[in-house]
Amino acid sequence: MQDQVKETPAEPVRLFRINTGSCNGCDVELAVTAAVDEFDVEQLGCRYTEEPHEADILLITGPLTVRARNEALRLYAEAPETKVTVAVGVCPVSGGVFRDSYAVDGPVQRYLPVDLNVPGCPPRPQALLAGIAQARDLWRARSKGVDAVFAAPPLAKPADEPAQQFPIRGRMSFDPKACVDCRMCRHVCAAGAIHFDIKGDKGDRHLRSQSPGSPEGVRLTLWHNSCVFCGLCSHYCPTGALSVTGDWHLAHRGGQTFRFSEQGEVPYTPCSGCGSPLIAVAPELLHAAFRRPTPEIEHIKTLCPACRQQLSIGAVRR
Amino acid sequence: MTSVIELGPHQLALEEPMYFRVKLEGDRVAGLDVQPGQVHRGMEHLVMRRNLYQNITLLERLCSLCSNSHPSTFCSAIEEVAGVAIPERAEYLRAVADEIKRIASHLFCCAVQANLIGQTALFRRAMEVREIMQRSKEAIYGNRMDLAANCIGGVRYDLTPDAAMYLARQMEAMKAPLDELYLQFQNNPAIMARTAGVGVLPRLEAIECAVVGPVARACGIDYDVRKKSPYGAYDRLEFSTSLQQAGDVRARNLVRLAEARQSVSLIEQCLAGLVPGPLCADLLPEIPAGEAVAKSEAPRGELVYYLRTDGTDFPLRLKWRVPSYMNWDALKVMLHGEPVANIPLIVNSIDPCIACTDR
Ligand code: SF4
Ligand code: SF4
Repeated sequence: MQDQVKETPAEPVRLFRINTGSCNGCDVELAVTAAVDEFDVEQLGCRYTEEPHEADILLITGPLTVRARNEALRLYAEAPETKVTVAVGVCPVSGGVFRDSYAVDGPVQRYLPVDLNVPGCPPRPQALLAGIAQARDLWRARSKGVDAVFAAPPLAKPADEPAQQFPIRGRMSFDPKACVDCRMCRHVCAAGAIHFDIKGDKGDRHLRSQSPGSPEGVRLTLWHNSCVFCGLCSHYCPTGALSVTGDWHLAHRGGQTFRFSEQGEVPYTPCSGCGSPLIAVAPELLHAAFRRPTPEIEHIKTLCPACRQQLSIGAVRR
Repeated sequence: MTSVIELGPHQLALEEPMYFRVKLEGDRVAGLDVQPGQVHRGMEHLVMRRNLYQNITLLERLCSLCSNSHPSTFCSAIEEVAGVAIPERAEYLRAVADEIKRIASHLFCCAVQANLIGQTALFRRAMEVREIMQRSKEAIYGNRMDLAANCIGGVRYDLTPDAAMYLARQMEAMKAPLDELYLQFQNNPAIMARTAGVGVLPRLEAIECAVVGPVARACGIDYDVRKKSPYGAYDRLEFSTSLQQAGDVRARNLVRLAEARQSVSLIEQCLAGLVPGPLCADLLPEIPAGEAVAKSEAPRGELVYYLRTDGTDFPLRLKWRVPSYMNWDALKVMLHGEPVANIPLIVNSIDPCIACTDR
């Protein structure tokens, strides 16, 4: 990568990259922000440096492998005292698809503070620039000693952004009204981004069988900082409860990492036969299975498995 | 006088962390010790702890430069085990995705090398041309690196008539710039001076190292999986293997640029042959116990997958051999007797993928 020193009124803010064992997706996209005019970090008054001791902003990619850790921490320590750390992609803060491996020692915030997250897998250059701009403002404030009162400005969406002919894969969205609690999404999610738990009156439990009292419903939580935006959950979701949105404006402060999620509750309704709690079949599934459900099907839909057996074969079979 | 130097990613101009210990005689390379492992993420362990569906997404992130080759070859292995024939439309769409990735990958490799020999304008030009591919990927698949194109039994994206027309226009826009880049790498005296006769891998040594992909074809080895054992749609597509004889840095780049140009034609043929029909054979096919080998021509060469299943959704064994693994070894031959200043260029000329090799 070459340096692009240009006469700008203010001293350029210097960016330094640390690859902690990434798939190279984030790194190749960062290379674009040094090589392609449209996305050049120069437009933000920044430039890349190859010297860690010159770094104002550290751009960290990858899940922090065991082998890369010492070198990454050495580079971090070599950077000046006043600096801003940016986790690029979802890998550094959650491990992304690589979580739970013996060879991965992340998340990086175990070892160093993360000031900003730029989710994506990899983030598109526009998202990288938005994140780097926030990091630059944070660094400028910090170098004046006003970190404590500094709040990152909300991301301004570029007004002239052309309407995408085909939408990009951004943040996932969940519609609990269409969910039938089949949990196929969790089954196919490589990143472990989807979590189900039971919302009950005696505290939340992970497994329905352990939940005492009468549970109120099932809750799905999808953590955007683990999700790799692959869309596989929505591909296999039979009702379309999970869908891909085009929203890529996801850069946020490190402290908000764990609040950055999508949540929805699928309430239990009482069985119309015996009153035991059940997840109602969503109309989306009913229409997918039977184009025009009959009144009989509509009735069966409100029954629990035991009452359905009663209805079809006259007795509950054990 | 013998000495030993250590080179890291910054000296080697690599996007990924890799360390070399180089033995020098005077200022010439006499020996090389490659020290991998920085990008080892325990992938073979991880794929055993994820089910077959999760592995589609996980393997796409083995390496993002050849990211489509991994899930498509992996899915082929599953389909082999399940005895599923994917629909013809899906075969064409898989080929489109693979060829799009090939063009972008080859251009990135050539761009980085142009930068290394001080051809800054050419570097930026190659990256600009690559942006046409990046924009196409994002427009069609929703992401510039990871396409999410594959699923078990076929593909999970479609090309509507609009999208197909858009892609055809983008391909048209690639032709002149790719021809222009080829001519630059072929004839520009300044580039020739730095790449011709540099990092030579003689044909016999190439065979001994069992190199694959553009590295092999630049030594006159006529081996391309798409031709030798056609898979998917490739038996219906017209193309010839790109070959060069010199085995040097220049030859490797000429092979890549010729292939990129050919990929444009392959995509056009796919668009022309795109028969109507389903995208996927069966959303959730039964995957019985069994084993299979699948291979494909990834941008860096032959990629081989081995899968063994036991009837559950979890693989009993999943293993793969990436092309870069074969090509690393040949660096010892290419670098021997070369001046230190040429090391980064020659290393980048094999288009090494560290994420793939370290896994
Ligand atoms: S966030 Fe995604 S693209 Fe970036 S390094 Fe991790 S796996 Fe690769
Ligand atoms: S898109 Fe869905 S399946 Fe893919 S990582 Fe995100 S939550 Fe998981």
